[in-house]
Order: sequence, then C-alpha cells, then structure tokens
Amino acid sequence: MRLAFVLSEIGSGLRRNVSMVVSVILVTFVSLTFVGAAGMLQLQINQMKGYWYDKVQVAIFLCSDGSTAAGCATGPVTPEQQENLQTLLESPAVAQYVNDFQYESKEEAYKHFKDQFSNSPIVDSVTPDQLPSSFRINMKDPEKYQIISETFSSQPGVETVIDQRQLLERLFSAMNAASLVAVSIAGVMIVCAILLIATTIRLSAFSRRRETGIMRLVGASKMVIQLPFILEGVIAAVIGAALASGTLWAVAHFFLGEYLSKQYPDTAFISPGQTLILAPALLILGGSLAGISSLLTLRRYLKV
Amino acid sequence: MPVRRLQIWAVSAVPCRVIRAMIRFENVTKVYDQTARPALDDVSLEIDRGEFAFLVGASGSGKSTFLRLVLKEDRASSGAVYVAGQNVAKISSWRVPRLRRGIGVVFQDFRLLPQKSVFANVAFAMQVIGKSRSVIRDTVPEVLKTVGLEGKENRLPHELSGGEQQRVAIARAVVNRPGILLADEPTGNLDPTTSMGIMGVLDKINQNGTTVVMATHDDDIVNEMRKRVVELKNGIVIRDEARALYTSMIPVVGQSRRLRDASGRDEAQPPAPGERSPGAGEEQR
Repeated sequence: MRLAFVLSEIGSGLRRNVSMVVSVILVTFVSLTFVGAAGMLQLQINQMKGYWYDKVQVAIFLCSDGSTAAGCATGPVTPEQQENLQTLLESPAVAQYVNDFQYESKEEAYKHFKDQFSNSPIVDSVTPDQLPSSFRINMKDPEKYQIISETFSSQPGVETVIDQRQLLERLFSAMNAASLVAVSIAGVMIVCAILLIATTIRLSAFSRRRETGIMRLVGASKMVIQLPFILEGVIAAVIGAALASGTLWAVAHFFLGEYLSKQYPDTAFISPGQTLILAPALLILGGSLAGISSLLTLRRYLKV
Repeated sequence: MPVRRLQIWAVSAVPCRVIRAMIRFENVTKVYDQTARPALDDVSLEIDRGEFAFLVGASGSGKSTFLRLVLKEDRASSGAVYVAGQNVAKISSWRVPRLRRGIGVVFQDFRLLPQKSVFANVAFAMQVIGKSRSVIRDTVPEVLKTVGLEGKENRLPHELSGGEQQRVAIARAVVNRPGILLADEPTGNLDPTTSMGIMGVLDKINQNGTTVVMATHDDDIVNEMRKRVVELKNGIVIRDEARALYTSMIPVVGQSRRLRDASGRDEAQPPAPGERSPGAGEEQR
C-alpha cells in the first residue's frame, strides 16, 4: 500500500464534498466543546475543593495576627490555648462526633493555599504569617456541625468555626447540574455528529463508486479501498476536536484567567494549561467516534 | 449420465487436469430468485490455460452470471467453480482481492475514470495494489504500446474515440499481468471496424499466454475469429465447439430432447423474470 496514494485519495475525497466535511467539523466541534465544558466544570470543582474538602467537613481557624473575632482578644493563639483545644477535641464529649482531626500549621496552610491558588495573582501577596493555623475535623455525621460550632466558637484562641460543605455544597451542586446539562447536550450533539459522519461517508462512497468499483476489480485490498473513507471522517472529526480544545483553552485563558479571576480574586480558578489535559481525550473521542461510524457505514454501503 | 460421471472420475484421478484448466465449472447452478428458473443450470465447463473462448447467447442466457461467478462476485448455488485450480468457494473474503488480481475484466461501457488521463487510468490499477512508482513508470507505457495507444498517454477519456477508450480499459485490465482476461461484450458499443481492432488487441494478449473469455452478441466477430464458442441458452450450455461460428453448423438431429427444446426456440425470447441483464448486477449503489 502506498501512503502517497492513500493520502491523495483522502485529499480528493475531502475536496469533493467540502460542505459536508465542514459540517462534520462544526458538529464535532460543538458537541466536543460541550463535552469539554462538562470536563472543565468538574476540573473547576476539584480546584475549588482545595486540599481539605474531601477529607474534612469542619475547620476551626485559630487566631492569628490581626484577628478581630471576640475570642482573639488576647492576640494570636498561644500554645496553651492550642493545647486546650486539642484536649477538648479529644475529650469524650466531642470525640463521639469526630472521626479524626488534623492540625494545620501556618506553613502547611500556606503550602495548600499556594497549590489551590497557583493560577491566581493573589498567591504572590500572601505570606505564611497571614494565614491562620487550624484544626480540620472529619465528622462522623456532617449534620452535627452545630455541636462543634457551639463548643468551639467561644473558646479562647478560636477565630471562627466554618462548615466548608455548607459554603460550597450549593455552588458545587449548581456546577454539577450545569455539567450534567452540558453532557446531555453533548450526547445529543454526538448522536448528530455520528449520523452526519455516516451520511457524509455514504455520499463520499457514492460519489466515488466508480473508483471503488475499479479498485475492487483489479484486486485492491479492503484496507486500501476503505481507509481513505475512514480517514476522511476521522480527519474531519479530529479537526473539530482540535477546535473544541482550542475553544476551551480560550475560555480558560480569557474568561476565567483575565476576567473572572479579577472579579473574584479569592476564588481558585483552573489554569488554561489544565484544560489541555482535556484535549487528548477530546481528540481521541472525536477520532474514534468518526472511525467507528464510518466503518459501520462502509460495511453497509461499500461492498468489497 | 455416464459421460459426466466419467468426467468427474477423471478429475479426481488426475489432479494436473485441474491445474491445466484455468477456469473450471463443475455442475454449477446459480439461482438468483427461487421462483424463477436458474440463471445457470448445472453447467460443467473447462477453459484451459491460454485458450480463447467466446461465450455467446441471448441476453439473460447466463453469460454475465458466468463471469461474475469466476470473479467471485456471486456464490454458486450449487456445484464448484475452480479458477487456476482453486475452488473459489474456499477462498476467504480477505483473499478475494488476490484472486481478482489474477483476473482482468473489460466491460462494454469501458468504466474509465473521467478526470484521469490515459496513463493515470492504467496506473490506477497498479497504484491500488501497491506497485511502486518506478515499476508503474516502466510498465504502463509498455502496456499502452501493446494496445496501440502510444503517444496518447496524457489524453483524457473524453478526448478519445470509443475504440481508444476500450483499449485503455484493456490496458488497465492486463497491466497487472493477470492469467485470465474476462471481457463482457467489449465491442457492444463499437462499430464493426473498431471492433475488429479491439479483437486484434485481445488476440495479441491471448498470444502472450493470457486466457481470454469473451461474452458477446457480435456474430461477425465470432465468425471472423474462429475460436472456441460456448453457447448458453437459459442457463444451459447448448453448444461447445472449437474453431466455431456464431450459429451452430451441427444439425439438431441426434441431440438430446432437452437440448433440442432449448435451442429450437426463438433467439429473441425475452429474459425470464428474475434473470439479470448483463451488467445489471454490477455495483450501482
């Protein structure tokens, strides 16, 4: 099999029905953009969860320099206060609600902060001193948050007690719903793309039935006859997938990076680089969809 | 039927006979439609290596079906078809291309690629089976010379006469040096003089050792060439003569009743329903 020959066949096939090829590119582009958008939302959720979200439910932030809460009247938390809090956490009254807890020092907090906000300019203006140390508590029953809150809020050295889930859960459920919608739209669009690819390949096979008939007669192998058609579909779909990846990158770069991260500097956004993780998946998805649908079409419409 | 039994015995006992026969039909029946009469009915026939044979008969007599079975475009309903000693029914589908590389085919309607030049049309047959560019550059002009088209390599098909177009088609069919050339009414669209030119080309190819089987209606050509003639009628071989004419010279007396019935009817009888006209079974989808 001569590569140059197959390539020239593909070229002539693509030229012959440009409009259909363009529509395949656009449909795969739109459908894979939706798939990618769903992926991006999930990436964003992960980003916002940060280091602790999946591990603990409640955070007890301890006083640091400049804390204004009532419990911080004595200034930054002292080692004794911290000791007392730890003892209280281990006491039977509290321990029955707690699976386990961890202490996060200022340095650890800074490290986790840097990871989460790596894409945000805010990271450069923060030093470990500005971040509070904390106890991170994994609850046996997250609904019992109130008990922890009541017990610890008034303790000396405690700035505030936060139920992270309550803060973020609603936002995440909205984002999850949005990604579900994106996936369903993507599903419909992918069905469109498959049908359109099948039609395109069918037309292409029809317009080249003379060539394929002759190829059959002179004993060309099935592969030489079918490969140009399959690659035609795959190339169109891969172009669509590349456009979709580019769009996602542009959204991450211009919308999230340039606009939203300035509007909400305290929110961790994904970086444009992270969306490129999605690109290979989109390319493979687009290519294999096209490959499979053209293969099935050829089996019906191009006898070898 | 003692004669047929003897024939089968001879084949099984002397395998080299199978090899010598380029095309061999053993009691082949082809039914397209269960309700209609078969397109080929219990045909046994042998065409030897290097032979030139005409397949004659009215439309619907089974000529095209015969050619399709040789190419494995269709499967025989019963019986066995051997091509170059190989039972085509036993060739797996991915090896069918190899079978077809050993068979060249020419049609009444030429089937050239209109946007490709003469050279490119012939080269196409070599490109698709992966021949290298240098081999193509050497072989194609040689074959074009054989069919008498020197100097017309760069013409497009519509710039050629019908006879020249058919020569291109023949060049394409033989460029890969097949052992067999099947021609399905190659002169059907051509005037008598041009047809004789085409026959000269086919004869030359035959002289070079290629087995040629030509289905035709053209009585002038058959009478002129004086080659073997196999006459089909309603799917039955009613005549198989060496160095024969288009119409039989043998008196009907002495033939079996079945053959007399078949050959006694009018030539212009319409094809039975379910029978395909020549070329109708080709891929048109």
